[in-house]
Order: sequence, then C-alpha cells, then structure tokens
Amino acid sequence: MIELKDLSYVRLGASSLEDAESFATECLGLQVGEQSGKALYLRSDDRAHTLCYFEGDPADQTVGFEVEDESKLGGAAATLDQLGHPVHAGTPTECALRKVKAFIGFKDPTGNQIELVVRPERSGKRYFASRNAGITGFSHVGLSTTNPTRDEQFWTQVCNARVSDRIGDIALMRVNAIHHTIALAPGRGPGIHHVNHQVESNDDVLRSYYHLSDQRVPIVFGPGRHPTSGARFLYFKGPDGMVFEYSVGVDEIEDEATHRPRQFGFEPTSLCMWGSRSAGMPLPKS
Amino acid sequence: MSAELSSRSPAEQLCYVRLAVSQPQIAAAFATEILGLQHVPNELEPFLFRSDERYHTLCLADGTQRSSIGIEITDEPELDRVAKDLTRNGFSAREATTEECAKRFVRRALIVEDATGNEIDLVLRPARSGRRYFPSRDAGITGLQGVGLCSTAIKDDLELWTAILGARVTDRVGEVTYLGIDQKHHRVVLYPSDRAGLVYVSYDVESLDAVMQNNYFVQERQIKIVHGPGREPASGQIFLRFAGPEGYVFSYGYGLRDIDARHRPQQFTLEASSLCEWGSECTDIAELQATEAR
Repeated sequence: MIELKDLSYVRLGASSLEDAESFATECLGLQVGEQSGKALYLRSDDRAHTLCYFEGDPADQTVGFEVEDESKLGGAAATLDQLGHPVHAGTPTECALRKVKAFIGFKDPTGNQIELVVRPERSGKRYFASRNAGITGFSHVGLSTTNPTRDEQFWTQVCNARVSDRIGDIALMRVNAIHHTIALAPGRGPGIHHVNHQVESNDDVLRSYYHLSDQRVPIVFGPGRHPTSGARFLYFKGPDGMVFEYSVGVDEIEDEATHRPRQFGFEPTSLCMWGSRSAGMPLPKS
Repeated sequence: MSAELSSRSPAEQLCYVRLAVSQPQIAAAFATEILGLQHVPNELEPFLFRSDERYHTLCLADGTQRSSIGIEITDEPELDRVAKDLTRNGFSAREATTEECAKRFVRRALIVEDATGNEIDLVLRPARSGRRYFPSRDAGITGLQGVGLCSTAIKDDLELWTAILGARVTDRVGEVTYLGIDQKHHRVVLYPSDRAGLVYVSYDVESLDAVMQNNYFVQERQIKIVHGPGREPASGQIFLRFAGPEGYVFSYGYGLRDIDARHRPQQFTLEASSLCEWGSECTDIAELQATEAR
C-alpha cells in the first residue's frame, strides 16, 4: 500500500503569470516565495511552496503528495507499475522545479496528474501573508472523478486513504486525522476541482466574503458550513476558472479504529447546512 | 464608583417591546413565520408574542398607540425614587392606568418620555410564563436581546439612562452609545438621528449557525437584509439586521460579550468598519450608516 504522508503542493498552468500573481497575492493572500520568468512559487505556511503557477496550459494541473523516503518511493513506483499505471521518474531538472529531492508522476484512474515526492523543501523564513486573510496553510484538494466508486477504491486500497464520509457516492478521504485531504467531485474528465487553504477563524471566512465581493471576485459557494467536516467555508474563482476555498474548523477523526463513514444524500443541504447554494461550480443543485 | 452604581442600578432588564402597527395581521404573520416567535393566546392583547421564559417580549399594538420599550425596575421604592428623579430633571412621566398595566402584563408602570420623545415604560413585576417557550420555526431564538433607539438629543437621553436608571456606557462609535444594564455588553444602543423611534429590535440566537441559517432563510423569502451578516466590534456579537413590516427592522444576534466591572468605554471612529468588522455596510437605515449627523 502506498503511504501518503501529507499533501505537498499543487501545480497549475497559467495563461497569464501576471494575473496569477495578482490574484494569488491581492485576493488569495499567499506569499510569493520565489519568482522566475516562467514560474511563480507561492507559500501559505512554513513550506517553501504549496502552490506553483507556471506559464502553460491551464488544463495542466498536478497534485503532489509526500511519501516517507526514497525507498518507499521506489516501492510505490513498483506497485503502480504492476497495476498498469505508467510511472514517470522525475528528472533532476523537474525535481528542482518542484523543490523536492525526488518524485514519481502517474495518473489516477480518472486521469488526474499525481506526483509522489520525497523531501519537499521547507523555508527558513517565517510565512508572511500578502493580505490579512488569516491563512494558516494549504490543506486539501477537490479532485474530479469520472467514477467515484472506482477512484475511492484506488485511493483507499492502492493508497492509504480512509473514507471519512460520503455524499452520495462521493468520498471525502483522509490520510491523517484531518477529516479530508482528498475530496472527490463528480466531473466529466480529470482536473482539480478546488484548492483549499485553512484560515484562522470564522471571522476570516466572513471578512473574505466581503473583501472578495468588493474586489469582484466571483463567489461560487458560501459563506457556508459543511455538515460533513463541520468547517465554515467560502469558495471563489481565480484565474483560468480554478476554484479556491477558504475554510476553518475542519473536524479531526480521532479514533481510527471506530470511525464509520456517514452517508449524506446527494443534495445541497449535504454540502451546506446554512442554506447557501453553489453557483457556477459543478455540485448538486436542488 | 461604577461598582457602586451597578449595585444601586434600578434597571433590571429589557422586558418587552410594543410596536404600533396599522396592519397587525400581516405583522403577526411575520412575527411567527419569519421571526419564529410564539404567539401567546390571552384576553387582553390579540397580537402578543414570546421568545423565552417571559410571558411576552413583543406586542403588536394597534396603530393609534405609540411604540414603547419596557424596562423592569427592581422594586417599588426604586420606582418611586426614579419617579421623583424624572420629575426633578424635567422628564415627562405618568402612572400607567390599570388597563395599561394589564395590557403590558405588569403590576405597575411609569410611562416616560425620553428627551427625543421615545416612550419608555418603567415597570414592576413583569409576568413570567408557566410554560416552556416553543418557537414557531427553528430560528434558534433564545430570547429578546436588546433594542437600538433613535436619539435626537444624546446628552439628555444619556442623563435619563445613566444618572436616573443606572445604565453604564460601555462603548461608543462616534456618538453611537452602547448602554449596559446587566452583565451583557449592551441592551440598549442610542443612535444619533433626526427622529424618534426604534432602530431595530434584536433577538438572541443560539449560535453562529443559527445566524447564518437565518441569513439564507430570509434571503430565500426576498426579505431585505439591511445590515450584515456582520460582526459588531464593540460587543463581539454576530448580527443579521433585516426589514420587517411597516419599516421596523429586526435583528438576530449571537455572541454578545459579557462586560466586566473594570471595563472603560472605548471610542471607535465613526465608520462602517466600526459597526461591522467583517465589512458589511448598511445602505438603507440612516442611523446605521456611520456618517456624521445629517
């Protein structure tokens, strides 16, 4: 079984690095860690980067997970190979672009680009936000799935994720105590559904609602509260249509042994217990 | 000094609000279907509502009467002393008739006018209900919380509230003055205005979830939200202020802070962010617009 330790980063192609930077700093509130002509590295916590925009096709999206060490990485490569998932071993140049010691790349059953990385860099400098959004760190991703049951099997049997709850057939899965690190979302093809950053408090979620609305950033869902994780949230659109989420108060699953996933119906109140409705984002409508 | 004052303070609680309405049936439907209050069947007032263990906290009085708020006074000697102080300071105060007391469900009342012309009932022994409160809908209401009052003469109105009734000024936003009469940050807020009247009637709800559920509930019913959802910096409360019938504004609030004896009133600048730290702004209600007096 492939042991995912943590979520490491998201890499997104950008049609305009300038727009991406302005959104990432003025709206999202991330800190520029490093900038080259072709790539922008953004920080949200003590890691060297958690979001990388590179000049390229916005459909070119990758999620990176950390594994324990190079020997585990080799094991993962062998496992994937045996299952018929072609594996790409990262070249030194590619590793440097990702600020990791080593990585392998493959596609999940839906076709999402996934990388498993070893020794992702941390920064010596404290994280300092670009705006007062209260971000505490990059927390989880929504991943599109063309077959929720098949993909749940992949993440829970080939990898070590556990299902925390389901909405219809859609699984919210954890790799540690945090309620979910991977949230599946129904889609017509591969792609990252949303990128989540945690914020310090409810006040931050609500302040961002007003701040982003004033900046004409499209709010696509919320402010609301997920009945599954308990988290208060806000979803909004960034460059090239990528959806970002702020949330706070994600439950922790303390007892691995006894937790049983709950089943929520596939309907709007399963996604927001306050009554907000999603707009312009693929989610169940009433 | 302030500790002494609070032990002598005659004002005990805000016990009810009476709203003069010209179309009580419509207002009554709003009170139950939207606000979620419980109607109280009784012989004296057809449009009487509860929100907690008290017999009533809202009465929709017919339009010939005036709106008022009810403040409970500790006991008879205090009420007598207050009556003398009011007269001495030039405030209009008269004893309520037997019928007026009955319709307010109190044993005795002084009907007072503040300097602005707002009617304040100073009452003794307001009625409690024997029965558990059962709301009309799941709004999460825990009770009548407070009111905003228009003031055309803040200094003079403060004389009534602080010197005579023993309330304390807890904080200010410009000249907007928060007044406490118990352990809560405030129960009455005076807003500079060019008229008499109520700015809003506020009900406490049990959680942030309740405020936000109510936010979407009222939105779905095309009810105008005039301020919020927001967070009041001075008191910490999360609020939602929305339009009711006949120009009355109602509010749900959660998280109103307790105030301790050593707290000194803070002065906030008169701007929108001093009334809501999340960023909501009020466009319709002059008193909530955080601008200098017109």
